[in-house]
Amino acid sequence: MSNEVAAIAVDVGDLPLGGGLLALVRPALNALDPGGVLAVLSRASSVSEDLPSWCRAEAHEYLAVQEISPGVERHLIARGRFAISIPINHQSRLETPQRSLSSQEMLDVEPFPGSADPVTGFAPRGARVEQGGPTYPFTLNERAHVAPPEIAKLYDQAVAAQWDANSDIPWAKVKSLPAEVECALGQVMTFLAENELSALYVPSRFIARIHPHFAEVAMFLATQLADEARHIDVFLKRARLCGRGLGISSVITSRSLLSLLQCDDFIEATFLLSVLGEGTFLDLLSFIERFAPDEATAELTRRAKNDETRHVHFGLAHVRFGLATDPSLYRRLEATVRRRSATLHGAGGVPAPLQDALTILAAGGSEPRSVARGHECYRELLETMHLSRIKRLGHAGFTAEQAEMLSLLHTPNFM
Amino acid sequence: MSDQTILLGAVAYDPKVVTIWEGIREHFSEQGVAMDFALFSNYERQVEALLQGHIDIAWNTPLAHVRVRQRTGGKSHSLAMRDSDRNFRAKVIVHRNSDIKSLKDLEGKTLAVGSSDSTQARILPLYFLAAEGVDLARITLLPFDSDLGKHGDTGSSEIDVLRALHDGRADAGTVGDLVWVTEQAAGHIDVNKIEPLWTTPGFDHCMFDAHPGLATEKVEAFRRALFAMRWENPRHRRLLELEGLHEWLPAREEGYRSLEEALKLQASP
Repeated sequence: MSNEVAAIAVDVGDLPLGGGLLALVRPALNALDPGGVLAVLSRASSVSEDLPSWCRAEAHEYLAVQEISPGVERHLIARGRFAISIPINHQSRLETPQRSLSSQEMLDVEPFPGSADPVTGFAPRGARVEQGGPTYPFTLNERAHVAPPEIAKLYDQAVAAQWDANSDIPWAKVKSLPAEVECALGQVMTFLAENELSALYVPSRFIARIHPHFAEVAMFLATQLADEARHIDVFLKRARLCGRGLGISSVITSRSLLSLLQCDDFIEATFLLSVLGEGTFLDLLSFIERFAPDEATAELTRRAKNDETRHVHFGLAHVRFGLATDPSLYRRLEATVRRRSATLHGAGGVPAPLQDALTILAAGGSEPRSVARGHECYRELLETMHLSRIKRLGHAGFTAEQAEMLSLLHTPNFM
Repeated sequence: MSDQTILLGAVAYDPKVVTIWEGIREHFSEQGVAMDFALFSNYERQVEALLQGHIDIAWNTPLAHVRVRQRTGGKSHSLAMRDSDRNFRAKVIVHRNSDIKSLKDLEGKTLAVGSSDSTQARILPLYFLAAEGVDLARITLLPFDSDLGKHGDTGSSEIDVLRALHDGRADAGTVGDLVWVTEQAAGHIDVNKIEPLWTTPGFDHCMFDAHPGLATEKVEAFRRALFAMRWENPRHRRLLELEGLHEWLPAREEGYRSLEEALKLQASP
């Protein structure tokens, strides 16, 4: 037995078992396959008493001990057959960067797997996972349904683009406006906040289902949630500042957002929320920025629009990646839009309080000729939204015909 | 209740015992074996219940197992044991200031020992010390009978022994090797104060004892379902970890000879 060849030797000096020896012996055993032999060189006599007992408790095999020089013993241990070898991944090592270190570089050294096993739980991608753990209830385990290649770059951009709703908006420059403009602005901000609340809740439903091996997607969605939280914050601040407070929440908005919240499929929800909904909101925010009655309103809508642009990019990337790997997805997405449209059928057009508020905002007041101009701008907005949606759907990979049809079926609530 | 159900007895030495046996019952059911369990507060009553046929099988400590073998004249069926039940050992631990360098040095000193019904913390270490020529009459025993009836299952008397050693209330003490290494691994031992002096020869620990009259098909069904538990299966693993084993093994009797001998010596004046 003492002729057994040890794969690894560890010198533990005079450490007793309960005095730090295990911190050297356990990692050495972990580096071996089951059955692999470790030599422990020890100068402590108590180790002869304790190491065999520890091996019995841990189901390793204590093979033999030999005095190799006066006072120095060589214990041989075979790693137990119940221990499961956990290979070390040397490729995931990063070199020291010149300046910054991006998520994209992290992803490059440890790429997404094609599919992930729910039994790895919250273990980060690349961790050496001990076998026998419980199975987690993650359902988004396939890369094609979750993680587009652009995700790490989008996350890096999102982190760099965070801003402060308290101090980055020139709130001090807000002054009282004519009563009808104040009312219109309060209404528009109410509508925006209500819709952004849905954009906060909808992605959050999916984060807990995403396998942590695609953590960059969950992390990106976390920035999206932070963005929405900030938008809700600034929209409500603007509604209350010097104005008449909040406006009306319409049933059509409520129905539309409920149908969004009830969507159970991640890619379908991303399509409805980010490609169609937030995509349409880009034009709405541009409109509000263009007719903003003060600098603060223009600044907050501009900043919100920048954030929303990122969400739309994620939505497009997500859908495009899904379509590239699963051709049946076109049909599914089309069916989702049709189903939602059928649910909302007859519920009405664009919420009337919003229509009126956008018209007054564009008019800058209630003088009839200005209102006529405002109304014209509003009509142009609807046309712009339709055309942009078609363009965006084209980017996602739909044909012109499909895009036209899907755009027309989109909710009159915009989101 | 169907006659097909195997009724097993276990001693509730810890709340986890319920988790363990609910889990194993579920596993047996998946294997098509009807099994239920009854919990006892002490091994003496469990052994009586087995002998009177109130339960079919008892999950027994070595002391309870040896008593069942004696009371049934060796006719009980020994069904299975844990891998960790084989080659159990006891340790003699000494305080570093005690000047105890050999077993003979224990004479004239204070020796902390576990419960009087603990095989690993009292009965066998004292038996083996006597066999090594130590005069037990010249040792002052400091006994911790903290979990009587549980046959040392809780380990609390062994923890008491280690505490007495740390505090200097005893020069030496006897504990099972499992408690000694797990307490060290957990960082609960001050190695500057205490160290191991000696390890006893090996002996075997727990055993499933079946009533002599238990039908052969029930004996076979029990073994088949028990041996189907696998460390690699996460649900099984959780139960095996709680019960302190990696795999169930067939029974063997030779590991109980020293305990039989020790009990004989105790009985004779």
